[in-house]
Amino acid sequence: MDAPAISTEGLTRRFGELVAVEDVNLRVAAGQFFGFLGPNGAGKSTTIKMLTGLLAPTAGRIQILGLDFIAKPIAVKRQIGVVPEGMALFGRLTGSEYLNFVGRMYGLDRQTAAKRTAELLDFMQLADEPKKLVADYSHGMQKKLALAAAVIHGPKILFLDEPFEGVDAVASGTLKAMLQRMIARGATIFLTSHVLEIVERLCSHVAIIHRGRLVAQGSLEELRAGVEAQAAAVQPVAAMGNGPLPSPGEKLTLEQIFLRTVGGARVADQELSWLG
Amino acid sequence: MARLSVAWLNMAWLSFMTPVFSPDARGQFAAIARVRWQLFVNSLHTLHGRWEMVSRIFIGLVFALGGLGGALGLGAAAWTFVSDGSVAWLALPLWVVFLFWQLFPLTATAFTEKLDSSNLLRFPLSYRSYFLICLAYGSFDHATALGSLWLLGITLGIGLADPALFLWAALVLLTFAIFNILLARMIFAWLERWLAQRRTREILGILFFLALISLQLIGPLTSRFGERTRPGVMHVAREFSPAQRLLPPGLAAEAIAHTFHGQFSTALSFFVLLCVYGMVILWLLNLRLRAQYLGENLSEAAARAASPKTSQELRLGWNVLGLPGSVAAVFEKELRYLSRSGPMLFTLIMPLFVLLVLRLGPANSGRSGSFLLRAPNLAFPIGAAYALLLLTNLVYNNFGADGPGLQLFFALPVPFKNIVLGKNLAHMAVLTLELVLVWLAVCLMYRPPSIDVTLATLAAILFAAPANFAAGNLLSIYSPKKIDYGTFGRQRASQTTVLASLGIQIGIVGLSALALFISRLYGSFWLAAPIFLGLAALAFAGYALVLSRVDRMTLDRRETLISELGRA
Repeated sequence: MDAPAISTEGLTRRFGELVAVEDVNLRVAAGQFFGFLGPNGAGKSTTIKMLTGLLAPTAGRIQILGLDFIAKPIAVKRQIGVVPEGMALFGRLTGSEYLNFVGRMYGLDRQTAAKRTAELLDFMQLADEPKKLVADYSHGMQKKLALAAAVIHGPKILFLDEPFEGVDAVASGTLKAMLQRMIARGATIFLTSHVLEIVERLCSHVAIIHRGRLVAQGSLEELRAGVEAQAAAVQPVAAMGNGPLPSPGEKLTLEQIFLRTVGGARVADQELSWLG
Repeated sequence: MARLSVAWLNMAWLSFMTPVFSPDARGQFAAIARVRWQLFVNSLHTLHGRWEMVSRIFIGLVFALGGLGGALGLGAAAWTFVSDGSVAWLALPLWVVFLFWQLFPLTATAFTEKLDSSNLLRFPLSYRSYFLICLAYGSFDHATALGSLWLLGITLGIGLADPALFLWAALVLLTFAIFNILLARMIFAWLERWLAQRRTREILGILFFLALISLQLIGPLTSRFGERTRPGVMHVAREFSPAQRLLPPGLAAEAIAHTFHGQFSTALSFFVLLCVYGMVILWLLNLRLRAQYLGENLSEAAARAASPKTSQELRLGWNVLGLPGSVAAVFEKELRYLSRSGPMLFTLIMPLFVLLVLRLGPANSGRSGSFLLRAPNLAFPIGAAYALLLLTNLVYNNFGADGPGLQLFFALPVPFKNIVLGKNLAHMAVLTLELVLVWLAVCLMYRPPSIDVTLATLAAILFAAPANFAAGNLLSIYSPKKIDYGTFGRQRASQTTVLASLGIQIGIVGLSALALFISRLYGSFWLAAPIFLGLAALAFAGYALVLSRVDRMTLDRRETLISELGRA
């Protein structure tokens, strides 16, 4: 049996007294489009930072493609691509210079780095303004450039932290096209996102983290079945502010699954009367 | 008439100030002051912040000593001039204050901080409030503190020598202080504007080099006039005096001197002229700040976007002979960053500027000329040392300009020592280029340095550079500070780094002095180069040791580095 693309055992991260991630056991098979969800502050970014070497775990193990991340960080980093939270761009380079730089840092020779740079800029529709500095790019352009940089070396696993945040429909379409190409050629994608519709449309498997703990993991069908079974056992759930159950024959959406798993938001009692 | 002028000035000032002190404006000032205080208090929650505080106190003490010593010295000079009746000589200490006030912030940007007021524009702030906030917070720097203290010393010196002159001198010197504050802010605001765009940057560069070339005329001219007239201090003073009297330090001195001699109307006219200077500077500053207030965008993106689309040809990265791909890539990235930073290029050109300033002075005027004219062999070592000193701005904060991009380095399959090596090599390349430029400038402005001095200087640089790079790599990891290469004087270096840098420079200068002393003891300057080379071997070993441990250190510090440099 093949080793999972990503697996963690007892992954834990503490910041002083605060336990940001606790005993997370993830298992992502190769070739999966994996969505990692959770409310704000649940521990998504902390987890993805640990999985990509940007943050040291307090305890636990991380294996990427069967390699121990702590023991062999360089070998692991060669196999993965990352779009971290802040995108990790260098604002005073042009897009072409930045991609060339990243390509060479991943060990590509000058010709290959330059060729892939040109192709990626074309694909991402960033080739029109070759002299424009990254700092002058729009947010959507920066996201596209960050994704281009993450794939320039042809990684087997791609980690994306909120890739669709603040991106318009056009840029979002380009990003999705790129990701679907990667999945088609057998890569694994691990992404966090708050845009549940996109996750539902793209991802085959999902995990949900809440207050630092993994509360659900599996394919969308598995999660749906789990929530429906739970709801059938405890009918009053619908009255807890998580919305009504869909009528028979209608599938639960990912948003409904998510809200039922982590609990819906409570409306504040206090009125903001001064808002007018 | 004079009363009318003063009244008009008062009215103008009051009309400017009144809306600022409306309840809304007061609330905004208080909010800004409170948020800065809270930021300061919050910074003390971390070890790094507490170290910064300790360093700041120590550096503050050093400056306080300089301020008090200067105030005492300049006050004594003022007392002597007034007591002797040669009040016009007050121009001398006032020129010292003026030159320090305006040049120190430019030559020592690590001590300079200007509030990035662009963040304030989203609030409903009136232009007057915005102007005053920029002026007030921009003036919280060492140059303003020392300059004000020195002027206070001069005022007290005058008052002690002639109590009747005290109030008038206080008024004149207060005006002179306000003029200096406005001028310093105006210079920074316009320099930032000119350095922000390539075209204006190039014009500034051309002007600088024109000044450099025109300096070549000074030698022949002073030689020619030197034959006709008696050289010496008095001659220089006589030649310079009429011109300097019409400049702000001279005007302030004349305003006080004429009052001392009972010529009140003349004194008042000098004072009014000083105020006119102040108003002109205020107007120029106002032009700049108003443009900022109205949302000026100095980005070159628009100009670039307008450029015709170039064919999509392959752009290969640099091939730096003998360097692994990752090191060459970092080397290229660093040099591209530097080449696009007007403020950094300006900082790096300062050694040439200082050589130029020190060159100013008649060649044949004996002791009155620049000391470098009397000891031209020192010009190259001094220029080289200053070049290295300015480069420490970059070397001691290797990752400062990377900002959030630093995360990429942690995600890459590249050992951190390769990244640091690439950065160090880029800085070494800049230093080499600077040394060549300094050498050429010395040849043009003074005379070619002798071979033994050149060799000793280069050997000393081979010692000092790796020593500074080793220390810089450590400080870059343990005391990082985010900086923006695109802005001028808006960011202060980490105070811990400044303090450590002072200690390191003192150590390097001490060892260099010892090497020079030994070579002098044996009567041969040729001996200095091998001694420096021996020190260079030690420094290089230290550098190699630090480099070999960089990976471990950066991994241990990655969270602090990412959070410190990645913050908005």
